Amino acid sequence: MIQPFTSDPLRWVSEDGQPIRELPARFTPELLRELHRQMVRAREFDKKLVTLLRQGRTTFYAQASGMEGTQVGLARSLRVGHDWVWPYYRDHTLGLAMGISMMDIVSQCLGTNSDLCRGRQMPHHFGVADKRFVSISSSIASQVPPAAGTAMAQKYLGTDEITVCTFGDGATSEGDWHAGMNMAGASGAPCLFVCENNQWAISTHLREQTASETIHIKAKAYGMPGYYVDGNDIVAVMEVMEHVAGRVRAGEGPALVECLTYRVGSHSNADADAEKQYRTREEVAEWEARDPITRVERLLEHLGAPIDPQEIRDLVAAIHREVDEAVRAAEATGQPGWEIMFEDVYADKPVHLERQEDFLRAEQPATVGGRA
Amino acid sequence: MTATQNPARAGAGAGETRTLTLIQAVTEAMREELARDERVVVFGEDVGARGGVFLATAGLQAEFGRARVFDTPLSEASIVGAAVGMAVRGMRPIAEIQFADYMGPGFDQLISQAAKIRYRSGGQFTAPMVIRTPSGGGVKGGHHHSQSPESYFAHTPGLKVVMPSTPYDAKGLLKAAVRGDDPVIYFEPKRLYRAAKGEVPTGDYTVEIGKGAVRREGRDLTLIGYGGVMPDAERAAAALAAEGVEAEVIDLRSLLPWDRELVLESVSRTGRAVLVSEAPRTANFMGEVAYVIQEELFDQLLSPVVQVAGFDIPYPYVQDKIYLPGPNRIAAACVQALNY
Repeated sequence: MIQPFTSDPLRWVSEDGQPIRELPARFTPELLRELHRQMVRAREFDKKLVTLLRQGRTTFYAQASGMEGTQVGLARSLRVGHDWVWPYYRDHTLGLAMGISMMDIVSQCLGTNSDLCRGRQMPHHFGVADKRFVSISSSIASQVPPAAGTAMAQKYLGTDEITVCTFGDGATSEGDWHAGMNMAGASGAPCLFVCENNQWAISTHLREQTASETIHIKAKAYGMPGYYVDGNDIVAVMEVMEHVAGRVRAGEGPALVECLTYRVGSHSNADADAEKQYRTREEVAEWEARDPITRVERLLEHLGAPIDPQEIRDLVAAIHREVDEAVRAAEATGQPGWEIMFEDVYADKPVHLERQEDFLRAEQPATVGGRA
Repeated sequence: MTATQNPARAGAGAGETRTLTLIQAVTEAMREELARDERVVVFGEDVGARGGVFLATAGLQAEFGRARVFDTPLSEASIVGAAVGMAVRGMRPIAEIQFADYMGPGFDQLISQAAKIRYRSGGQFTAPMVIRTPSGGGVKGGHHHSQSPESYFAHTPGLKVVMPSTPYDAKGLLKAAVRGDDPVIYFEPKRLYRAAKGEVPTGDYTVEIGKGAVRREGRDLTLIGYGGVMPDAERAAAALAAEGVEAEVIDLRSLLPWDRELVLESVSRTGRAVLVSEAPRTANFMGEVAYVIQEELFDQLLSPVVQVAGFDIPYPYVQDKIYLPGPNRIAAACVQALNY
């Protein structure tokens, strides 16, 4: 039985990979290997993108290393392309696990002509319509009230979709977070709120963020259940998400799930060496020992189906080739020129934008590939 | 009583008109859009059973039900944000912010989400939505019930900003806003809610966003305004006419985008422009209009562009009437332009 408002995070697999509850039948070695591959793929993507950042080929990147259990586990609980997702800016692992291609994410990070968002946003703020993965806003928690609205629309339209809204722990201090949670609660809309509590909002620790003991208990005030999960235990994340998404989908109203995890990497390139600035190497090491990928490897060992180290090395090499190929293919499409700057501001271009476009046309040489 | 409750007018066909107040025209537009399109919903604080604090939504919940016309929590961020999320999911929300003075908590939703989602997603996601809100002074409301914040929004690419001053425009602009594919901030000059009366077609029509209207033709100067100041601008023009001065009066109706062509054509004939608004003067939207006039018509101007605006102070309570540009102050500005 999965209960809300527990004092400790719900957990199925211990930090050293031992089942501490009966492992649900669906977690066969085959499924666990597949989850392992998805988590490794996201982590290696992270490493490769940080390299691109250091090479100056992209200008921003928000690592999600250490958070794969939460994001892959969540992705597995959605009906991709059916449910709507209002994500936050550290969700590429969620996106990849939902089947958004590396090409789409890399293209957005590089701002190439292959970018579905047409080079309009800083890197790592992708959006993919056919996955109903809404374009990311940097403004913290600004996705929360709209997520409530999308869920209200789903209820009004009588769909069987749900809306998933993700955010970090820092977002829960914003007024918009409370506004959106309250709106969803009051309207009874089918919204699943997921706090990816990685304990750091850039350099501000959760303890300075809130005096509340946990995030999930805040759900109580909005009339919805709050669940507390070990976000580094992908079995726990999937079990809880499946249960909670099921009740949201059944019309029982919105819910909040707090996944306790840790941001092993830095916030972004703005704080490249976090351990010199605001946190200790000991703390990072402590959380690395609770790593979601290692935990699945140990669980597979426990189940007598260990992954061959050579298989992991081959997997990593294949992922690196996949990223390299996505980067090569994206860069080959070139970058959009000034010609698309005035498009997509409005449905139709007003006269004043046509005039400003004329000004730029006179100033700028025509570019090749300006039409994305 | 709203217009369609008037049995004498029931069943009137297209082409017929009857006299409505501005707020009745707003209500009628919502009623017709609710009836026309099931994707349209109306919500905000107290808009349901109460029908809104000004009664703009009176009767709509009774007619269309609680699923389509409903009260929300007292939270502008929630109201604007929910409109964004609904619009992204394919609905056509009309949300009310009870007073324009309270747009503040919803401001981030407007500038970070509504205004940018089309652009930032490369057109993959859009937010066709309308935020209706009463604005402006003249109702003894003090500074939290009287402000004219339109310039903040006119400064935000991706939004459209309109403000009708007649019942005809109120209905037509609101319908255009609901049917358009962009987020629209629809300001309602609250002191004209019942003061402005006019003929409104019973049938369906829209007023194109971005187009102004000539209220009075004249050859001596062009008086340009929008919203709550328009009746006083017309009174000023009438007073000047008694002195033999013919002022052309233009109602911008839309601020973003605004009808640059109409303004320039008029001022190119009259050589003089007087710009009237009640918003604080500094960074007032009319500063942009003045800029464009001098940029395009510098050689043809017979006098500097004159601006009549609110003062750069929080909107006062006791001196409500003194603060607002009335017909005398507007006429004096015209005389200043004429005597240059």
